Amino acid sequence: MKRVLNFTDRKRIKRKNVSLRFEKENNKVTGFVIENIDLNGLEIPGHALVYVEAYYRTELKRCKLGAVNSLTFPFKDNLDEMAYPKNSKFRILVVDPSDLKILAHADKISPDDADKISPDKITGKIAILPVQFTDLGNEIWRIEYEGDEGSPILLVNEKIPLNSPRQDPQFLLFVYPAVLREILTHIVFIDKIDSTTEPTIDWHRNWLKFTQELGVEIPESLSFDDDNENRDNILEWINKCVEEFCNKYSKKFQEYVKTFWGEI
Amino acid sequence: MIALRCMLEKGEESFRQFLIEVRKDDSIKKPNLNNDDFSKEFSPKITIDPWHRFNTKQELAEYLTKVFKKSIVKREDIIKEKGLWTWLAYIWFEQITNSRKNILTRDEHYICTSPSNYRRYYIHLIAPPYIIYSLHGLPLSKLFLYNPPWQINDLTERVAANQFLISHKNIIKVIYRLYFDESRGRPKPGAASGDVEGSIRRFIKVIQQFEFTYDIYSMTSGQIIYLLPEEFKRWIPEEFNRWKNLYIK
Repeated sequence: MKRVLNFTDRKRIKRKNVSLRFEKENNKVTGFVIENIDLNGLEIPGHALVYVEAYYRTELKRCKLGAVNSLTFPFKDNLDEMAYPKNSKFRILVVDPSDLKILAHADKISPDDADKISPDKITGKIAILPVQFTDLGNEIWRIEYEGDEGSPILLVNEKIPLNSPRQDPQFLLFVYPAVLREILTHIVFIDKIDSTTEPTIDWHRNWLKFTQELGVEIPESLSFDDDNENRDNILEWINKCVEEFCNKYSKKFQEYVKTFWGEI
Repeated sequence: MIALRCMLEKGEESFRQFLIEVRKDDSIKKPNLNNDDFSKEFSPKITIDPWHRFNTKQELAEYLTKVFKKSIVKREDIIKEKGLWTWLAYIWFEQITNSRKNILTRDEHYICTSPSNYRRYYIHLIAPPYIIYSLHGLPLSKLFLYNPPWQINDLTERVAANQFLISHKNIIKVIYRLYFDESRGRPKPGAASGDVEGSIRRFIKVIQQFEFTYDIYSMTSGQIIYLLPEEFKRWIPEEFNRWKNLYIK
């Protein structure tokens, strides 16, 4: 069910095949080190050029690592000119120098040692939804897809005094169902997940696994192009996931309702 | 002259309250937020002229660039100081509201949000002109800075809010060549319209597609223009077609 347009047969470099970490001085990020990029199995010609880009917002730094057949590791460079070095994400590009077409890439890579932002274990097993407190103006929460490979981060307004949003019953009941609905919708309709059994993006796989753990069966297909029927099936599946998530916290819901009505 | 300050949280709240009130009654007095309860002096000490007149965003960006260059402070340290940008909006409030005749409805035009909140950060009326000017210089940044400081710039909202576009100088060069009319010192008519063929909105979509296929960073602006589909023909300057071979090299 691969539906993402990829006319040039661009290959994806898996996150696990890139070993990249920050370089720090006095606990301050000053640069980065690439220990290795494993391109084996991608059938990339030796003359192709490898670049790494560090970026955050308007800041961008590009470094040329060299041709595939002559790469040497570790590769180090500084992040002096970046305003927010510790927020840098990295993009690896393998380019055919003759026509500048991208042969392989990996994007939105967080370094192996990037500060983990208050991981919030929604499943109790894998931290699939980190929480970050930030300035959101008058908004209470928002999802940003700025984690590893575009994975979701729950942004919570820093003015709201919560230590752990999931531990707060009201926040859990009001916000998390909407979060789950948004993320599943994003996975299917924005990212257009490429497989229900073997998604190429790790965080897609983790979220599908999470829905299974809720006891909801994943539909055979999450493809919806020109297929209104399947679109309805997908929306129904998302609703079912949200329903089961809420059922999981039914006790908290009952307690919350009691605060209005007391014991009947 | 006055020492540059950074707005503190309490100052931001007071400024926000003032914005609510001034939208209802434009004759109210601006509160004094230049004391340590509301703002703190920027370090190192830098002074600015609170009465300096700016006819365009470009003049504003040039002024700030000159001021910051005189001190030892680095660009990368300034752009993350959201309190500083909020304070500048406070101090130049009359200028950036056209003497209160054009007060915009969103607080983020005046109160700078965290850069992590990128889309809203880029609608601030003071920070983006400086950031873009210091990133791309002239003439490229004219595209985003040609109009008065109190006006919204459609191109800034469309282009600068897209981090991939704004960080690639060669793409900005293409946008400048396609959509900026140097003789008039402003964008060509229809450049930012939604219903005009080949307008900036379509350009952004096309570049986003190219981004998946080509190493845009390594391409010259001429190579990018050369790849554009037919719908952009009317925007491509005549001299490009004449000197196509040179551009593409």
